Amino acid sequence: MTCIATFFSHFGAVRCQRTCRALGRPARMMPVPRTLSSSCGTCVQWEGEPELPEDVLADVEQIVEITTQGYRPIYRAGSL
Amino acid sequence: MQLKGEKTVIVLAGCVIGVLASLLVFWGNPVNMGFCIACFLRDISGALGFHSAAAVQYLRPEIVGLVLGSFLLAVCRKEFSARGGSSPLTRFVLGMLVMIGCLMFLGCPFRMILRIAGGDLNALFGLGGFVCGILAGVFFLNRGYTLRRSYALPRLEGALFPTIMAVLLVLLVAVPSLLRFTEAGGGPGALHAPVLISLAAGLIVGALAQHTRLCMVGGIRDMVLFRESKLLLGFIAVFASTLVCNLILSAVTGTSYFNLGMAGQPVAHTDGLWNFLGMLLAGWGCVLLGGCPLRQLVLSGEGNADSALTVLGLMAGAAVSHNFSLASSADGPTANGKIAVILGLCAVAVIACLGTFRKDRT
Repeated sequence: MTCIATFFSHFGAVRCQRTCRALGRPARMMPVPRTLSSSCGTCVQWEGEPELPEDVLADVEQIVEITTQGYRPIYRAGSL
Repeated sequence: MQLKGEKTVIVLAGCVIGVLASLLVFWGNPVNMGFCIACFLRDISGALGFHSAAAVQYLRPEIVGLVLGSFLLAVCRKEFSARGGSSPLTRFVLGMLVMIGCLMFLGCPFRMILRIAGGDLNALFGLGGFVCGILAGVFFLNRGYTLRRSYALPRLEGALFPTIMAVLLVLLVAVPSLLRFTEAGGGPGALHAPVLISLAAGLIVGALAQHTRLCMVGGIRDMVLFRESKLLLGFIAVFASTLVCNLILSAVTGTSYFNLGMAGQPVAHTDGLWNFLGMLLAGWGCVLLGGCPLRQLVLSGEGNADSALTVLGLMAGAAVSHNFSLASSADGPTANGKIAVILGLCAVAVIACLGTFRKDRT
């Protein structure tokens, strides 16, 4: 599956990309798609399982899966 | 396919914004200043009595329109979200420093484009500094720079800044005697389009910028970080449409809206080094803030209290610049301004290093 995560900070995206690659999941950073958010921040798209380590997840705003119907929400931080 | 559609939309929006910027000059704004977030916030600071530079005092409805246009569209699209708490005081200080850089150059990144489109070659030095500033910021972003995360806030917190803007508009229309205005012929503050036209232009540009996320810093930043050209295309569209509209206005009206050269440009000076360094400071600070002054206004309309505080920092920076003779004039930069820009660059470097290399980061 293909997942996208948005973050509370650019640093969170840098750390996520690094972690995904270390876990063997091809990952790349890119601007957040407009349809996903009005923020102009950085997101990470990767191939593979959506689960992320706890320290990475602390900076994650939301995780979605890209499907043919659009974005399927997987995770959203509690204190948004 | 989706990205291609987004690119088309941002190019069209950039064209509309560029035409409006050019027409605002035709309708009365200072030359090459259809929009200038730094200059307009500086004028508002003056209108509210935060500084006493008599030549630059007017409550610019464009700024009110930008915030309210973004606010209204964000509410309609259910994108209004009150957020804040991401290093607010650091953002305030960075806002002040960005303004000091902008007033050294005499314009924000938006006006830098408009100046180039008006034939002002001095602004090319500013563009060079701006790009270098963004590269400096990206250097730290890639090494983990962060101002830490923001948090959800009560809706009131997000709605306060648009409300303040609406109150300012009421003051301008209903109780102008409370405000300070530049006397006719007294400087750029006396030159302005009619209130309703300025407000409408601001509303349109605010809504378009909210919809497209147009950002003068973001275009170059995303190109460097991701090789993604979408925001940069908006930047280029603003330049191209302003240039074309300036040339058409020149041909139709007989008044020149395009004067190629360096000397005698309106609200500009010819000191290339300080034009460069001013925009170096502005560009670097904007990357650390996450967006240009226009983007900060749009985000504040979406409910971002951190961006609202950044805008207040920009206004405080304008007041400081004029109260302590830091702002340049057509005669060139001041000695105080040069010292302030150097100190500002040092301060931005310290903030960037602390935000990147501190050990207590989570």
